[in-house]
Amino acid sequence: MKTLELRNLKKTYFDPYAGSHVTAVHDVSLEVQQGDFVSVVGPSGCGKTTILNMVAGFIPHSGGEILLNGKAINGPGPERGVVFQSFALFPWKTVLDNVGFGPKMRGVPKAERDRIAHEYLALAGLSHAASRYPNELSGGMQQRVGVVRALANHPEVLLMDEPFASVDAQTRMTLQEELTRIWQERRPTVIFITHDVAEAVFLANRVVVLSKGRVLDQIEVALPRPRVWDDLIEDETFKRLSAQVLHMVRSA
Amino acid sequence: MPHDIDAARPPRWLASAGGAAMFVAPLLALVLIWAIAVPLFGINPRVFPSVAAVGGAAMESIRDGTLIEHIGASLLRVGLGTLIGVVTAVPLGIAMGVSPAVSTFLTPLFRFFSVLAGIAWIPIATLWFGYGFGAIIFVIFNAVFFVVTYNTLLGVSTIPMPLRNAAASLGAGRWALLTEVLLPGALPNIVTGIRTGLGFAWRGLIAAEMIATNVGLGYMLFVARDFYRTEVIILGMIVIGAIWLLIDRLLLVPLERSTIERWGMVRRA
Ligand SMILES: Nc1ncnc2c1ncn2[C@@H]1O[C@H](COP(=O)(O)OP(=O)(O)OP(=O)(O)O)[C@@H](O)[C@H]1O
Ligand SMILES: [Mg+2]
Repeated sequence: MKTLELRNLKKTYFDPYAGSHVTAVHDVSLEVQQGDFVSVVGPSGCGKTTILNMVAGFIPHSGGEILLNGKAINGPGPERGVVFQSFALFPWKTVLDNVGFGPKMRGVPKAERDRIAHEYLALAGLSHAASRYPNELSGGMQQRVGVVRALANHPEVLLMDEPFASVDAQTRMTLQEELTRIWQERRPTVIFITHDVAEAVFLANRVVVLSKGRVLDQIEVALPRPRVWDDLIEDETFKRLSAQVLHMVRSA
Repeated sequence: MPHDIDAARPPRWLASAGGAAMFVAPLLALVLIWAIAVPLFGINPRVFPSVAAVGGAAMESIRDGTLIEHIGASLLRVGLGTLIGVVTAVPLGIAMGVSPAVSTFLTPLFRFFSVLAGIAWIPIATLWFGYGFGAIIFVIFNAVFFVVTYNTLLGVSTIPMPLRNAAASLGAGRWALLTEVLLPGALPNIVTGIRTGLGFAWRGLIAAEMIATNVGLGYMLFVARDFYRTEVIILGMIVIGAIWLLIDRLLLVPLERSTIERWGMVRRA
């Protein structure tokens, strides 16, 4: 079943300083099935963030369509959860209240949303941090909170824009493994944007390669799950797919 | 909040007692210099009173209840004017800050009025409200209003866009965005605004009370001057400064500590 469909999506920015128009996304069509995990890679400036922001509803698109279950999207909405590169946790809320924010917006009573938040924090191994404030956590912990905050709101689609780019390599690998585990458990539809080719292949069922605002190619990743780095790092299929995607990105 | 690493630090009460001592020491030094200088140079009490004379004036005005009456009147006016100012300024500042175009347009205007806030309005306030309570409340109100509005505006427009986007994509509507994101997000600036505004207000109050009333600390100074009671004037000045320090230490600093410092939105002073 199709959940998300982008048809001939286009975005033109107006640059008020240069007084000119910049087309960041020329013509992007993409279909994502329910429960699928799609990575989007491409060189810097190829329009990845722009696409994600349009799908999230943060910025309007200039042409084409964005359909969620066949209906055009209109602004941001809770059915599309977002995980931000900058974490975007509310500094004035405890970890528990950050995670319970989505349920609160749905009108879930306090006791129930605390229960939900505790459940999701446990999923990310963060139960001990529930009463702390975001500024008291490490970057890796903050991003775990960012991920479960989005998940706790049961979005149909989870949009992630380089969420692990600002944590150290060690933590990043752990977060990637956790994300695949959580995804297998909860099966949200995920669009994951990244610079990191290995990350894209490790996580996804399919890797979409972008170039200058267009889809260059899409590559299926038929690696078995659960995926852990210790197995995949030496895996021939993983190495072959990563090399293939890397080659494509570099020629893009 | 539990902090294991804090074990090495002195206990909290000792640290805060130490802090208080550090804070009071320079003030005591000033009193000491004063106590030595007045008799040493044989200064005429009409020019500057001795410590003992001011102490005596303090005892007397405490005993006959006039000091408390003046302080009460001044605090009531500052409290009421500030309350009205903050309650009107914060919603207005947020409403204006939501639109970048509006905030850009209004910023110069509010900067202009923040510097005029308070004292400069006394003459026109007495024309509008007559001599008395109304004029004074107006002066306090506007000392607070423009500064707090301006700072709230600034605060809202500096909230990172991803925080607003995060709230919206978690299902927050307009009202929730306001109460859950814009208000707490602007709080560091709002607190700065209240602090600056209260400073203006306190000064504006003293000035307004000198001309527009018959009770209050400003009035106390003003009347004492007519009788060359320098010890009462100095007492009034000390009380004015001391009350400001108390407001700051007991009200504003703890407010900051329990909110924006705890959230890591400003560096710990
Ligand atoms: N608000 C904006 N106004 C004008 N141009 C913009 C704006 N945002 C992005 N662009 C331009 O659109 C193009 C695509 O930007 P985008 O941020 O989507 O790229 P990206 O693929 O996410 O890059 P990166 O990998 O570096 O994050 C770039 O050329 C950028 O300069
Ligand atoms: Mg980007």
